[in-house]
Amino acid sequence: MKRLALAIFAAALFPTAGFAQHVSGKLVLYTSQPNTDAQQTVDAFKAKYPQVEVSFVRGGTPRIMAKLRAEFEAGQPQADVLLIADSVTMEGLKNEGRLMVHEGADVAAYPAGTHDLQKQWFATKLITTGIVYNTKTSFKPTSWADLVKPELKGQVVMPSPLNSGAALIHAATLTGNLEGGWKYYEALRDNGAMAGGGNGDVLKSVSGGEKLFGVIVDYMPIREKAKGAPVEFVFPKEGVSAVSEPVATLKTARNPEASKAFVDFLLSREGQELALKQGYIAAHPDVALPAGYPSREQIKIMPFDAAKALADETKNKMTFADIFGQ
Amino acid sequence: MKGEGLTVLAILIASAFAILPVGRLALAAFAPGGVPAVQAAIDQIMSRASLRATLATLDTAAVSSAIALILGVSLAFVLSVTNVRGRQPLTFLFVLSMLISPQVVAVAFMGLVGPASPLLNTLGLAPEPGSVNPLLGRSGVILVMGLHHAPLVFIVLTTGLKRVPRSLVEAARIDRASPFMIAWSILLPLMRPHLVGAAVLAFVAGVGNFGIPAVLGLPVNFVTLPTLIYRRLSSFGPTIIGDIAALGILVALIASLGVLASRMIMRNTDIRLEDDAPLEPFWRIGRLRLLLEGLLWLLIGGVLVLPVVSLAVAALVPSYGVPLSLSTITLDNFAEVVLRQETTVRAFGNSIIFAAGSALALACLSIPMAYVLTRRRPRTSQVVLALIEMPYALPGVVLAIALILLFLRPLPLVGFSLYATPWIILLGYLARFLPVALKPTLAAMRQLDLAQEEAAALDGARLVQRLGDIIAPMLFPAAAAGGLLVFLLAFSELTVSALLWSAGTETVGVVLFSLEEAGLASQAAAVGVITIVGVITIVVVTVAMLALDALKSYLPEGVLPWRV
Repeated sequence: MKRLALAIFAAALFPTAGFAQHVSGKLVLYTSQPNTDAQQTVDAFKAKYPQVEVSFVRGGTPRIMAKLRAEFEAGQPQADVLLIADSVTMEGLKNEGRLMVHEGADVAAYPAGTHDLQKQWFATKLITTGIVYNTKTSFKPTSWADLVKPELKGQVVMPSPLNSGAALIHAATLTGNLEGGWKYYEALRDNGAMAGGGNGDVLKSVSGGEKLFGVIVDYMPIREKAKGAPVEFVFPKEGVSAVSEPVATLKTARNPEASKAFVDFLLSREGQELALKQGYIAAHPDVALPAGYPSREQIKIMPFDAAKALADETKNKMTFADIFGQ
Repeated sequence: MKGEGLTVLAILIASAFAILPVGRLALAAFAPGGVPAVQAAIDQIMSRASLRATLATLDTAAVSSAIALILGVSLAFVLSVTNVRGRQPLTFLFVLSMLISPQVVAVAFMGLVGPASPLLNTLGLAPEPGSVNPLLGRSGVILVMGLHHAPLVFIVLTTGLKRVPRSLVEAARIDRASPFMIAWSILLPLMRPHLVGAAVLAFVAGVGNFGIPAVLGLPVNFVTLPTLIYRRLSSFGPTIIGDIAALGILVALIASLGVLASRMIMRNTDIRLEDDAPLEPFWRIGRLRLLLEGLLWLLIGGVLVLPVVSLAVAALVPSYGVPLSLSTITLDNFAEVVLRQETTVRAFGNSIIFAAGSALALACLSIPMAYVLTRRRPRTSQVVLALIEMPYALPGVVLAIALILLFLRPLPLVGFSLYATPWIILLGYLARFLPVALKPTLAAMRQLDLAQEEAAALDGARLVQRLGDIIAPMLFPAAAAGGLLVFLLAFSELTVSALLWSAGTETVGVVLFSLEEAGLASQAAAVGVITIVGVITIVVVTVAMLALDALKSYLPEGVLPWRV
């Protein structure tokens, strides 16, 4: 019986592999991955599907969504595939009926909760948000509470939820877990913390020494440290917030075949190994972690209410913008 | 009357490019959906964020125009009045610093100072880590904007000084006035309208500038109106475009008040008669000359060479904050941007196509338009010209919102939307740069003798024939110059395309800005170097071509800003 199941499974798998050469045409990817990573992902996909011509648009998740919403309104969404920061945004798109069901997606290896049960979106990574500091400083922060200490006055920088999807989830998580909710952000503001751009700005600021401490997604400082940048990433003791960089095909995709192939590629062992090579924690539980990370078990992720985060999306953005004067 | 169709066409084009967008914007701001909602628009304008941004806009524009004025006027006087050497290269380089797009200039200056400066790190002079980059925020925006707009003032003043009759200076010299007295008590008072006009121009340019406050202001939350509009629209999407339209109207209002003021002031400033000889340097400074020349080159070094060097150093290190040395030097950034990043490669292609396309279209369009405006409708031409100037004078973001409002929904009859196609950017460029292309052609047209045309008309040549066989060949050099100027400006443009680009239609400006925003500063620097190299090449080509043309004196005076 087990063998039969395996045979069916293999048969289900093989057509996709066999048809790799037949998937062709143009594919438009909207992504929040940094340019270099997005290009590497696209290159790896194209090595496998040489007949697909991929172009991508990169921006913070809120930016990508703003662009997509304008295109929805113009009646011509350009994207086939979305690879953005968080599943909350995906859930919103799913509720509006914008996503396509990908029945054939192989999620056998993935634990429940990393993908949509109706197979509309699929997590590809685990990206946590923690603290970064410049190694030239003598103070080594270990907790979120450290960031509001007077020693760090005017030295903290963080991404804005207006620019970053991870930052929006981070705000929703922290305000749900820390005592006092938004008061923590008020305290940060009073301590001279700055919120301007996205995670990239934080990295630049801290690595360049313009600010000494930052709130940031894990992979940026961990991988820049390996390249010689003077930065160190910290998993704060209260825990970290996390996003899963989900991928999904739009219902309006002009090239559904190539889109599904792209989703399959990201979920495949090969796609997950690529994430590892790029310095991310892959969503696939069997893929190793890149150098510089603790083991999966040691990373403590704070719980958060996804439904509430979706309902409060605009409110959270506005509250943040109000506190930090954006 | 013959050629009526042509006249109507010219007026139609002017209205389509100017009245339509601005009118649509006003409608969205004050009467969305046809229902008047003035109160909502006023509420939006009076909100805390926009009041703060308005103050920041007025503040940076005013102070930066003061800096531009001091710098531009001093340089114009020194170069027009004294016998310093190297006038032409100095002028060329100074104007070049203005033609490099503002976001590139801002990126360059930002990398020049601060603890992350690749240049200072390399020299071991970088300030303490944790110290703030002094160029981020208000003072940086003001300083860089002032330096960037100084050539604008310089051009206005130099043109003005050229128009002072030489006899005036000669008379004063006979009266034994010292050169200083001539400059101070004769020339300066004569230049008063130019001074005010140039200051207002720099102010308007400051109000509409997007690249500098976007790069130097946004990271520290120093927000001006154009960047507030950009940030809101790019983070919240089209749902709030009505609110944004009100802000757009506000910027447009400030800018048009400035433009109107400068027009009033600059009217009737021509004091030189046709046969008067133009002013020439009359102040022979002796031993001080070398010192003065040194200072001038130091200034050029400060506004142009240093930032470019800093960009180049940033482009050669593997990561931001790493000092440049023999062991760290790398060409990886260039390879990444030029060979591996398809977006960048595509963006260069797009920018070339958009810029060349609009340059070609506008150069062709400028010939019949110049003809109509000069020969057919000299009286209405003032109005039409003022209309055409609007999309150029208005801040780019305002034009972009207007175009989104016009073209987001599918067009009636054809049933598809221009949004998310290359056409919307091309349309934006055509509307924005029409006056740039028209100016030289119009100037050439005004110098054309009627005789040839009349002879041809007597011979029975129809209007189209006369245009094609007689007018067009004679206007060709001027139209080509106009086209090249458009190309130069459109190639590295950011303000219009920042809001209009979509998958596959990114421009060089957009890619640079998004690389900068993504925190990959060394890649942005690489793009910056490429942009600068590109722009310099184009300028060199332009100058070489037009210097040739000028030899044959085909080009009317004052067409080329660096040949004033």
